[in-house]
Amino acid sequence: MMQEIPSQPGGPAPASVPEISSAAAEPPAARPPGTGAGTAVNWTRLYGAYGRQIGLPLVVLALVGLFSATSEVFFSVENFRNIGVAAAALAAVSFGQTFAILTAGLDLSVGSTVSLASVVAGFAMRGYGIGAGVAAALATGAAVGLVNGLVITRFKVFPFIATLAMLSIASGLALELSGGVPVTGLPADFGNLAYEVVAGVPVPLLIAIAVLLAAFVILRYTRLGRRIYAVGGNEEAARLSGIQTGAVKLTAYMLSGTCAAVGSLILTARVASGQPALGGTLPLESVAAVVLGGVSIFGGLGSIIGVAFGVLFVSILSNGLNLLNVSSYTQMMVIGGALIVAVALDQALLGKWS
Amino acid sequence: MRDEPGGGRIEPAGEALIAAEDVHKQYPGVRALAGVRLELRQGEVHALVGENGAGKSTLIRILSGVSRPDRGMLQWRGKPIKFASPSEARRHGIVAIFQELMIVPDMSVADNVVLGNEPGAGGFYSRREAERRTAAILARLGEGLGIRPHQRAGRLSTAQKQIIEIARALLRRAPVMIMDEPTAALSQQEAQILLRIIRQLRAEGTAILFVSHRLDEVRSIADRITVLRGGARVATLPASSVRSVGELISLMVGRPLSELFPPRNQKIGAVALQVAGLARRGAYADIDFQVRRGEVLGVAGLIGAGRTELMRGLFGADPIDAGAVVKDGRPLSVRRPRDAIRAGIAYLPEDRKTQGLVLSMAAAENIVMASLERCGTAGLVSWRSLQRSARSMAGKVRFRGQLHAQAAHASGGNQQKLVIGKWLLSGADVLVFDEPTRGIDIGAKSEIYRLIHQLAGEGAAVVFVSSELPELVNVCHRIVVMSGGRMHGEFHGPDYDEQRILEAAFAAHVGATAGARAGARAGAAGRAGA
Repeated sequence: MMQEIPSQPGGPAPASVPEISSAAAEPPAARPPGTGAGTAVNWTRLYGAYGRQIGLPLVVLALVGLFSATSEVFFSVENFRNIGVAAAALAAVSFGQTFAILTAGLDLSVGSTVSLASVVAGFAMRGYGIGAGVAAALATGAAVGLVNGLVITRFKVFPFIATLAMLSIASGLALELSGGVPVTGLPADFGNLAYEVVAGVPVPLLIAIAVLLAAFVILRYTRLGRRIYAVGGNEEAARLSGIQTGAVKLTAYMLSGTCAAVGSLILTARVASGQPALGGTLPLESVAAVVLGGVSIFGGLGSIIGVAFGVLFVSILSNGLNLLNVSSYTQMMVIGGALIVAVALDQALLGKWS
Repeated sequence: MRDEPGGGRIEPAGEALIAAEDVHKQYPGVRALAGVRLELRQGEVHALVGENGAGKSTLIRILSGVSRPDRGMLQWRGKPIKFASPSEARRHGIVAIFQELMIVPDMSVADNVVLGNEPGAGGFYSRREAERRTAAILARLGEGLGIRPHQRAGRLSTAQKQIIEIARALLRRAPVMIMDEPTAALSQQEAQILLRIIRQLRAEGTAILFVSHRLDEVRSIADRITVLRGGARVATLPASSVRSVGELISLMVGRPLSELFPPRNQKIGAVALQVAGLARRGAYADIDFQVRRGEVLGVAGLIGAGRTELMRGLFGADPIDAGAVVKDGRPLSVRRPRDAIRAGIAYLPEDRKTQGLVLSMAAAENIVMASLERCGTAGLVSWRSLQRSARSMAGKVRFRGQLHAQAAHASGGNQQKLVIGKWLLSGADVLVFDEPTRGIDIGAKSEIYRLIHQLAGEGAAVVFVSSELPELVNVCHRIVVMSGGRMHGEFHGPDYDEQRILEAAFAAHVGATAGARAGARAGAAGRAGA
């Protein structure tokens, strides 16, 4: 089971990918020789070339080893299935967050987008069936992203502020619509989806993998994807190259909102009701997964594969600590701490290197 | 260090204060300094000249503690020394005045002068004392500066801001001052005032390292001149032994001028681009010019003359207030870069790193940046076709870096070729090059001149903006001069009168500064009367 996620994104790149790979997955060019001597330089050079790609997978493997050694139930198909289900929603949200962060932005509103989409999906599903509910949720996510994108590109509000405000707005709207209570009476089939297994893989995990593939293709094989990297890497150069940077950013936030809605549907199915207070920890966890996954918070650098490992890291850490009976409060502290350590390490190593 | 006419035989008056011995510095992809020696003596003005990319900036950064050498050492009064930071160098009395002036615009002149050195007792700041000291130093620097201690620093001219930096150094009694192109942004009169102050500082025993591109100025003020080329010292010689500016230039470029510049393209065609009455408030006004197919039109002027603003407006990067842009007889409505690109106009920005390239992306991806539509169908990108386009364009512009590596790792010349390649691939036939050779080595420069004439020969119209007159007069068919946001003259090659071009470049400043000074005097008189 464990192989399900790594086998998709695991290898460096599918065979069809030509030599010119994206800047994200590309180790920097060989440095000119003789920039200095000593082992320190070699370490940092090694890190600069490969660390961001292999560092996190190694840490994830180490975590698996650690928890396998300390918990009897950790290394089992059943538990890996649990991890997959638990990780699925975070994965979908984090892949969306990746689009926003790659444009040198940020989407703090993903958590309340999840709540709002959940409530909207609940009402729509109760009235018009599963299909309508799914469509309504996705439309809600895209709409929230559209508003975020418009505020950011038209009114020049910093993404941090714009999406922080949206966090409050969407959350308020979700509570307002639902009256603060869960929307119940959803079709039973929908709730069952969360626990169904196809070919040994839980459906939520399949959905997350589908989002991963879609995000991978968008970022790598579409003009939009390359423009997202360009805008995040150097907005002015992108604009002077004729790229409509506003439209690119707007689309990135819409993708983020839509992915959050997918995450919302997974969570809604698991609790079989529309919840106005779902996903409160998702802003932090998704940013953590994206940044741990090696995406530059300044935009333009990073790969969706790395983010998948970031999600695995957060989910496995949480699962393992659960099994070791570590309280969820302590887990919050551990995840926050891990984020700081990872970024500080990255800064220290890259700082020396450049 | 092959030829060293007179090097080491001159004995300036004072003791050697700061010296660099066999200093090496390597940056990713660039050998910035390879064994440079430089010695700065008390009471001398030592000029440092060289092409962009020769290593001048790196050397002054090392001397002022901003960067550290990979190999070699610094000596302070004959003893080895290492500066861990700029502030440590400053404590020893080495003050560097860079082109980006370190002025806090919202504070007063006096506040700025005493910054980091504030007078007062018990943690309190004595503004009165700060203003007294500032006034004393300004008085020492002479009449006619038009600076008052309580003025807001942000409102001063560039020249006045430079004087504040000098005042700051004087307050600390700095024995060594390093000035990086102090006169580059100054009018002739302002430059004269600055040169007078430099002479006075020299008479008082200050050692001054003077970096400048204005070679006639260098000849007139320097005691000794050190020439750098490609990170190495070519010569250190007494200024009195330099017979002409041309002699300095050939030392700087290391070859006769004729080899550097290609023959001009001979096939001139119809008018490709015509600009009429272009204006943007506060930047430029009444701009008319045209450029023909096959022609290379130079745009000369001082920094701040409005050339870059004009080109950005023409390209749609910034809005324009008035005027018309006509391409091949058809009027264009250019509201954003996209419109200009569709019409076949390309703009190579003056700063390739912040505006021309996405450094974090592969070189190949930068080449196709403006033509992604052509690499694939229906919104998808075909990496194979992208690679093919990039490779063939890289060959055309003679890009010699690695196509799959990040653009950040290419050398300056190769980076510039990527930007040129990007525009050629987009199918542009009016090419606006803004300072295309800034900061690249001499070989790459020569290649870019050749490329410009090759493209002109293929029917492109080229607008070539540069602050280096030598390259303009040797590359362009025709030169227009901007000064103070307006056109101030047009000159036809190939035989240009450089002196007259320079005068045109200063045209707006002569009137404006005189006016400003008169205004300042009137203001002072008004205050005195009150």
